[in-house]
Amino acid sequence: MGRFGFVLRRILGAIPLLIGITLFTFILLQLVPGDPALTLAGPRATEERVEAIREELGLDRSLPAQYVAYVGNLLQGNLGQSIRSKEPVTSIIRERTPVTVWLLGAALILSVSIAVPLGAHAARHRGGWIDHAIRVVSTFFLTMPPFWVGLMLLLVFALGAGWFPVGGFGETTAERLRAIALPAFTLALWIFPIQLQSFRSSMIDVDGSDYLQAGRSIGLEGLTLFRRYILRNATAAMVTLLAVQMGFMLFGAVIVETTFNLNGLGDAMVRAVSGRDFAVVQGITIVFAVAVIAINLLADVIVAALDPRVEIQ
Amino acid sequence: MKLRRRSRSGRLAVEPADPVAAKPPVPTSLKIGAAILGIFVVVAAFAPLIATHDPAFQDLTDKLASPSAEHWLGTDQLGRDAFSRLVYAARTDLIVGFLAALFPLILGTTLGAIAGFFGGWVDTVISRVADAVQSFPVYVFLIALVFVLGTGVMPILVAFTAIAWVPYTRLIRTEILRAKGLDYVAAAVVAGLPHRRILFRHVLPNSVRQTVVYFMSDVILATVTLATLSFLGLGLPVEQPEWGRMISEGRTFLRNQWWLSTVPGLVIVALGMGYALIGDGLAQRLRGDG
Repeated sequence: MGRFGFVLRRILGAIPLLIGITLFTFILLQLVPGDPALTLAGPRATEERVEAIREELGLDRSLPAQYVAYVGNLLQGNLGQSIRSKEPVTSIIRERTPVTVWLLGAALILSVSIAVPLGAHAARHRGGWIDHAIRVVSTFFLTMPPFWVGLMLLLVFALGAGWFPVGGFGETTAERLRAIALPAFTLALWIFPIQLQSFRSSMIDVDGSDYLQAGRSIGLEGLTLFRRYILRNATAAMVTLLAVQMGFMLFGAVIVETTFNLNGLGDAMVRAVSGRDFAVVQGITIVFAVAVIAINLLADVIVAALDPRVEIQ
Repeated sequence: MKLRRRSRSGRLAVEPADPVAAKPPVPTSLKIGAAILGIFVVVAAFAPLIATHDPAFQDLTDKLASPSAEHWLGTDQLGRDAFSRLVYAARTDLIVGFLAALFPLILGTTLGAIAGFFGGWVDTVISRVADAVQSFPVYVFLIALVFVLGTGVMPILVAFTAIAWVPYTRLIRTEILRAKGLDYVAAAVVAGLPHRRILFRHVLPNSVRQTVVYFMSDVILATVTLATLSFLGLGLPVEQPEWGRMISEGRTFLRNQWWLSTVPGLVIVALGMGYALIGDGLAQRLRGDG
């Protein structure tokens, strides 16, 4: 079983997870209080009308039959329609995805550029006051509620200094970058502490490893040693962490988009929650879950490419 | 490993070398952290004595007042005293945040103990479910769960428990598997000690500190997440004073009454730092470099 086998195994392993997601959202649907047919029909609908809708939605069938129909719909890319706007959920998702992707991308770049240098620095001065100071600062950021950080940044840099817009997204790339700056920074401040701690400890692990000793003993030093032995291994650990953190980042995106009125997926989800618009909540939950699984899969592939040892594990 | 003969029973009692026996000095971070948490507990316990006003009393003629001798942190959009609401909210955030981290600990530890102890298919089922939960974006599911379960303390606790138990299960399970391979446990089994006793006397004490350290970071996350859910309009009933909701309500008035949102956030950070320092101090003791 080589590296290819490892990746194949991971792909097969994702299938039960996907089934799990459909089960989770299906059960959620059953738990929602109230009769969806009644809700859709409206308060003044006749008994026959409600019955017709129930039949149309397949609610008169048994639960397993409903589940099969539900999965069938999902596989055809049909996520239902919004109770509020009557828009198909898929088009809401398509419309909102770019903002969230911009936000996550920018936040990821920012957080890694904070976490990696600081983490490397802390690892190099392990146990010293620099290491200690970096730990205290990162813990400090971990305790800050991200929406509050966002509001404080808004207060100082948007309302106060006027450097950034107070909310919304833009049309041109420059506008978007300006609009995304504070939200991305807010999200980055929330997720970088975990990246930092993890990068620090993987640097320390690599530093104490046998192969690094071996590398040093054959006379490797400086940049070669750092690039070929330390960075490559620490990067593999980092890629895994970023993938694991993805679900948490999406939660962060929900918070930050709401704070900054960015019309991304997270914002749509929160609006749907307060509007009791179940189809939208469900659709976005599925998109988020599938995205997380896909990204973890991708991370496994990247790690397999970086690190030939994965086949042994 | 020390073997000691119990006086009369004649049965061998086997004890692990006790890491706390040396009693290292209490780390400073632990002291400061405990002091911060202590202040919050006192404020929550004596909220009626500390608050200057009824937190629910609305004075619509005195809305959005600036801080003054009468209203230390001013009043909110309904003319309620912000300081008194801040004090009463300590009860909600402290207790719900704590329980939201405690319930997963209890569930996770129990499942982990069952999995590690009994092994076999029980272990397989628990471990697979744990893997699955871990692979999902659980905090997104948290929003969906709270959405379905409705607002209130119980739905929040149920949702947190459903998503946050996995690390504890892993921790205890690993610890038990490790302990099963240790000499002193093998000796205890040979000596005929009942399983329950091995679990409580030998395995749990060893994993308790690690669990507590993890719990401390989890309780920070739970407190922040609780405030976040309130901010998103999920979470607790509107009338209950809660820091996250105070921040959310103050948001509209950020430009002119900036303190309404700023202060509750600082309070959350202070509480979080308290927990973090306790966790840090305990971790230091755990490593034995007090």
